[in-house]
Amino acid sequence: MTVAAGIGYALVALGPSLSLFIAVISKKPFLILTLLSSTLVWLISLIILSGIWRAFLPLNSTTWWPFAILIFTSIAFQEGLRLLFWKVYKRLEDILDAFADRVSKPRLYLTDKMQIALAGGLGHGVAHAVFFCLSLLTPAFGPATYFVDRCSQIPFFLVSAIIALAFVTVHTFSMVIAFNGYAEGNKVDQLFVPSVHLAAGMMTLINFAYGGCIIGIPLLFLMAILTVMHCGRMVWRRLGENQRQFATTKTILSNPRLAAYYMRMFVMPIVVV
Amino acid sequence: MAQNQRPKSLLDSLGEEIIRILTPVSICMLLVVLLVSILNSSSSLSVTSSIATIAYSETGSDSSWDKFIGALLNSLVFVAVVTVATFILVLFFYLKCSKFLKIYMGFSSFVVLGFMGGEIALFLIEEFSVPVDCITFLVLLFNFAVIGVLAVFMSKMPIIVTQGYLVLIGMLVAYWFTLLPEWTTWVLLVALALYDLAAVLLPVGPLRLLVELAMSRDEDIPALVYEARPVTHHDSASRPVQRRIWRERQNARLDSEDSSSLNSDLNSTVSIVQSSHNGARARVEEGQVSERDAELSAPLIDHRMDAQDGMSTESLMLEGMGLGSSGAIKLGLGDFIFYSVLVGRAAMYDFMTVYACYLAIVAGLGITLMLLALYQKALPALPVSIALGVLFYFLTRFLLEVFIVQCSLNLLMF
Repeated sequence: MTVAAGIGYALVALGPSLSLFIAVISKKPFLILTLLSSTLVWLISLIILSGIWRAFLPLNSTTWWPFAILIFTSIAFQEGLRLLFWKVYKRLEDILDAFADRVSKPRLYLTDKMQIALAGGLGHGVAHAVFFCLSLLTPAFGPATYFVDRCSQIPFFLVSAIIALAFVTVHTFSMVIAFNGYAEGNKVDQLFVPSVHLAAGMMTLINFAYGGCIIGIPLLFLMAILTVMHCGRMVWRRLGENQRQFATTKTILSNPRLAAYYMRMFVMPIVVV
Repeated sequence: MAQNQRPKSLLDSLGEEIIRILTPVSICMLLVVLLVSILNSSSSLSVTSSIATIAYSETGSDSSWDKFIGALLNSLVFVAVVTVATFILVLFFYLKCSKFLKIYMGFSSFVVLGFMGGEIALFLIEEFSVPVDCITFLVLLFNFAVIGVLAVFMSKMPIIVTQGYLVLIGMLVAYWFTLLPEWTTWVLLVALALYDLAAVLLPVGPLRLLVELAMSRDEDIPALVYEARPVTHHDSASRPVQRRIWRERQNARLDSEDSSSLNSDLNSTVSIVQSSHNGARARVEEGQVSERDAELSAPLIDHRMDAQDGMSTESLMLEGMGLGSSGAIKLGLGDFIFYSVLVGRAAMYDFMTVYACYLAIVAGLGITLMLLALYQKALPALPVSIALGVLFYFLTRFLLEVFIVQCSLNLLMF
């Protein structure tokens, strides 16, 4: 509706990611590179999917089941890519550890690995927000606005920004859960991520019905909150186990500055979102 | 109680030099996209005639094939002019007329900053109705241009001023290039990427000749080159240790892994591994003075590590073409310009293509830097990024956009 409204919509979708970026990721150049590469991977997956589906588009927008198939195949493809991403990351971790040994620096800490996973997830989330929400925001900077029939209470830009916010959260933290699940061999975590992604995708199908977005969007946010809570619990447990393994436990627990370091580095960004 | 700080992890400093070169490239692209979206949304500007449209002026009513042939002719003419100009530059350099070249560079920077900067400032003033009178404007513009010339050619300025002005020059020239007709722009980008590939890698390529001349003479190439701020090391006694490292590495021809064990400092190791010496060169191209200025572009090249004797090599490493001892990466200004032209032209279509092309160019730059670390010789920075950028532009425009719009308008996202 104006430049202010356009910037507002962009910040609704990307505000928490921006604060995560500034607080955690911009401090370490390697994390910025991880974020850029995971954004690129998500974009490539999206291009491949659109290439596959191009022949069938535009779909008839009255029936919902072609869209269900579209969402299902897309999510299946992206989860497959996540597994690939994990394999590449494993190799990278080995290279980095070997490099660290050579230059006599400490190997990657657990928090480092989690931060890399967080950067990867944030890359996916930012890619989603950019391509599904921001790239369509150009008219919002002009003098008018746009409403969709199916969700006519609020402008289209605001709806897409809110949905993008939920998905950014889901993507960001599910990558942390997934990497941890693959590292530990934890089947629950490994299955949690694709199922949450699939559930979130399918929930947007509820938006298909007239006025469905009133039900669909809160359910979507429920998924996002579920992801965040699961991730927080998992991280707390891992960090606790990690501390108990080392002799510095007493020092950490008794040293408020170090405890604050752990809090700041990892738990706070989760709480922020 | 004693503070138990963990030692700094590997992740704190890895990849810092890449970020230091990515940031100005991103800023330049962002500025061009902003300019394009502000200035082109108001009214369609008339196509400026210049040397790049000498063969064919695109009109809206021609068929696609005519447009393509016309764009091809334009690009061939342009690349031919650039080749001739580069050979003239090599000739001047060979005849040791470096002073003349430097004066010419300074003059062309002044023209870019003064005239093109002034033109764009006028557009902006018109767009936003800024109340400013002629005399104030002229005084400000003149000062701006003069400081720009000084910043670019005198090394005594604070590095942030030099870097800022280089990014501005890149932005101004890139914006000018986006005013060309569409087909011409795309074919021109591809043609220049191919030219860059040929000029740097072929034995008769002018850029390669220039680099070898400069290296054999221990001279600085007269060029507009962006130099990232060198990574400072926090460990003590880093600088003397580094110089020794270079000499030792030189004599012993150690490979990167062994040399890293000599120095515990991560950053200098990374700079060794990443083949930090990147010299650069400029390619001056003549245009009609009233309409264009010199266009400068340079490949991202690596300084060759082997040399005849240790002493001259050491001084070469320390002073010569790159910042030998601190390992900063240099990127020629032409690369900035053409990356920004690609993104600016993508902005004229839609913002989705802008994001896709930005990611593609960054990926291309990363791949080029990795190849640089691998091959340790002069490499052109344009081809990979432009190829990826053009590919992603067309894929996004024809495949992705329909897909995304279909899903989004039905509020279906994943």
